[in-house]
Amino acid sequence: MNRREFFQCAAALAAGSSMLPSSWAMTLEQQDFLAAQPDYIDRHPLNFFTQRQRAAVTAVAEQIIPATDTPGAVAARAPRFIELMVANWLNDTERAFFVDGLTDLQQRAGGDFAALAAAGQLLLLEQLEEEAGDAAWFQMGNVTRLWDDTAPFICQVKELTVLGFMLSDVGSSEFFRVNPMGSFEGDIPLTEDDSSYAVELPIRAMAGGEVL
Amino acid sequence: MSDRQFDAIVVGSGISGGWAAKELTERGLKVLVLERGKDIKHGLDYKGEHAAASKLPFYGMPDRERNARDYPIQSSSYAFSDANVQFWNNDRENPYIRTQEKPFSWKRADVVGGRSLLWGRQVYRWSEQDFKANATDGNGIPWPVDYKEIAPWYSHVEKFIGVSGEAEGLAQLPDSEFLPPMEYHALEKTIKGRVKEKMPEITITMGRCAILTQEHNGRAPCHYCGPCHRGCSTGSYFSSQSSTLPAARATGNLTLLPNQVVERLEHDETGKRITAVKVVDTQTGERREFTAKIFFLCASTLGSTQIMLNSSSSLHPNGLGNKSGALGNYLMDHAMYGHMSMMVDDSKRFYKGNRPNGLYVPRFRNVGGQDTDADFVRGYGYQAMTVRSDWETTFNTKGFGAGYKESLRKPGPFWIWFLQGFIECLPQANNRIYLDVNKPDRFGIPQLVTEFSWGENELSLARDSALQAEKIFRAAGAVFYQTADIDTLSEGGAGVHEMGTARMGDDPMQSVLNKYNQAHELDNLFVTDGSFMTSASCVNPSLTYMAFTARACDYAVKELNAGRLGA
Repeated sequence: MNRREFFQCAAALAAGSSMLPSSWAMTLEQQDFLAAQPDYIDRHPLNFFTQRQRAAVTAVAEQIIPATDTPGAVAARAPRFIELMVANWLNDTERAFFVDGLTDLQQRAGGDFAALAAAGQLLLLEQLEEEAGDAAWFQMGNVTRLWDDTAPFICQVKELTVLGFMLSDVGSSEFFRVNPMGSFEGDIPLTEDDSSYAVELPIRAMAGGEVL
Repeated sequence: MSDRQFDAIVVGSGISGGWAAKELTERGLKVLVLERGKDIKHGLDYKGEHAAASKLPFYGMPDRERNARDYPIQSSSYAFSDANVQFWNNDRENPYIRTQEKPFSWKRADVVGGRSLLWGRQVYRWSEQDFKANATDGNGIPWPVDYKEIAPWYSHVEKFIGVSGEAEGLAQLPDSEFLPPMEYHALEKTIKGRVKEKMPEITITMGRCAILTQEHNGRAPCHYCGPCHRGCSTGSYFSSQSSTLPAARATGNLTLLPNQVVERLEHDETGKRITAVKVVDTQTGERREFTAKIFFLCASTLGSTQIMLNSSSSLHPNGLGNKSGALGNYLMDHAMYGHMSMMVDDSKRFYKGNRPNGLYVPRFRNVGGQDTDADFVRGYGYQAMTVRSDWETTFNTKGFGAGYKESLRKPGPFWIWFLQGFIECLPQANNRIYLDVNKPDRFGIPQLVTEFSWGENELSLARDSALQAEKIFRAAGAVFYQTADIDTLSEGGAGVHEMGTARMGDDPMQSVLNKYNQAHELDNLFVTDGSFMTSASCVNPSLTYMAFTARACDYAVKELNAGRLGA
């Protein structure tokens, strides 16, 4: 380690790493790297949705996962994740389908979903889900499927909201709890209030998924 | 030839190459290890270790566009993600030919340490029955080695790498030198108790793995972060990076050069001795030659055979040491076949820490002799995984707001218990690799063509693994189960247990290598990765590669010192 790296590591150590319950198992270089690495949603500018679309997606996300005694989708900045995924992860066909769905939602809302009162927003979303009927997306066992391009818009926006919330820094640490490193105990009680552990990588990503 | 710098050259720095480097340097040889992959430093370059999903691109969802372009083969592995993409082969830069009709998936690393960084870490000894299988049922050629001969080398390897697991005293799965086993989930204890009562012929044991449960040879015990394949800075699982390469370095006898693709080996005028290895530097394109007294190919099954095929000459017209015609043929892998169940027992029990290991069900079919109800030879084992349901299994439901949100916060009411069959594959001549001289890679080296398909015996074993899994699920108390359909059988290579293509045997007209992994036709050439395997067993093979590598090194140095390798 050279002098510059040493100071970087020292700085990273002093700043600490909020993500991790303990840092003993990490090298200084890793801590440096992770501390210096912003979350995915902070590494890219938002430039895909219009202001009005962004407001609509934000309102939809908060309807799906509202703030309660724990933070909701907006606090976890799931709308940011949704916009980046639509812009950069969906392919052209999938993106066009999603945008069509969003346009349809806006039209049904009289042009501005975000401007509706909360009750009206919910009613419209419930109506869309009703129309989605028994789409394959609602079947069990979707856990390994990477993306269902046959799913109606309402299912797709729900999926991106859920992923954007559950996998976020806020969702991982304030809605779930981080599985502590150090030892493995396989037979401890699960109390009534215990949450799941934060997911470090979605199963659908590990299942290999299909490549395009 | 007095200008020789090196006594031995080892090609590859993965599981086998790391062992060759350690054993040869510890016996006093000056060793050069040539690695085609990039140089990475232990710990320092495990950039994705402990990274949360929120740090990864797309929160860990695969980068489909990049993967389709650069990693179409590698990205289908469970272990591939942006947390360790730097370890994997770029399929666009380093391609091979995957035939449509007989597809084979070649999983490759591209760094110092090779796939020892990415492996599943499961280690199981072969049994006497495994070494006798070919001779007994007439498939393939007899092994020139038996269990008794290799057992001390298994011990030698296990004591160094550290293997956690439980002694069971089974003839078909001999015990290793064990560190304490990892802990069971409550549900796993329940399952084990029920199955023991209802199906006493089935053993359920903790996975035997090269992951430390206590400090061992200066390496720390596992801290249970989970995804080992991102690299382990505490060296708690065995890799070349954490263990063998440091040991080799400590002797002062090791030189390791990354970014060196071996193009071919050169021999002397007799055709009986290798004199040099020709390499291309992947960064500069520069071609160089290195000489030594002995040569170890540990470049992976397909990699080593590619080098031998590409080293043909007037004296070795069909590839190096290929009088037998066996070189490139008898490619094997383990077929994987997954069966799933749901259990509602122990739903109030939980766990802490992320155990990077599951249970193992050792082979129980055709053990000791042929089962009367079996329309197949050989057998299979299961690796069992226990997963608690959570939001990922339940979010595809209707509803909005606080109720929907709360329904996703806690663990679901059931466990998923998964049995993955690992099925033995018979050696078949038409499962093969060969060179296409009309399709050179970016260095001008002919690409490998792969042709692989499962035979009838593998399909019968797979079907039986579904029938038996159903019985086990019932005995275990599953409330729901689904056994696999035959069209979900894994593609060849997906097991990443590719073996064969330079098999060993006593008969030089049927095999490439002798019982010491030495080429029948070239005294100073040893091949000790998976290519030497004459049959496949159903257990994970890396431990066996390590044991044979250590034994071959011991033999080679004795022969060298006795002046019998012509040096």
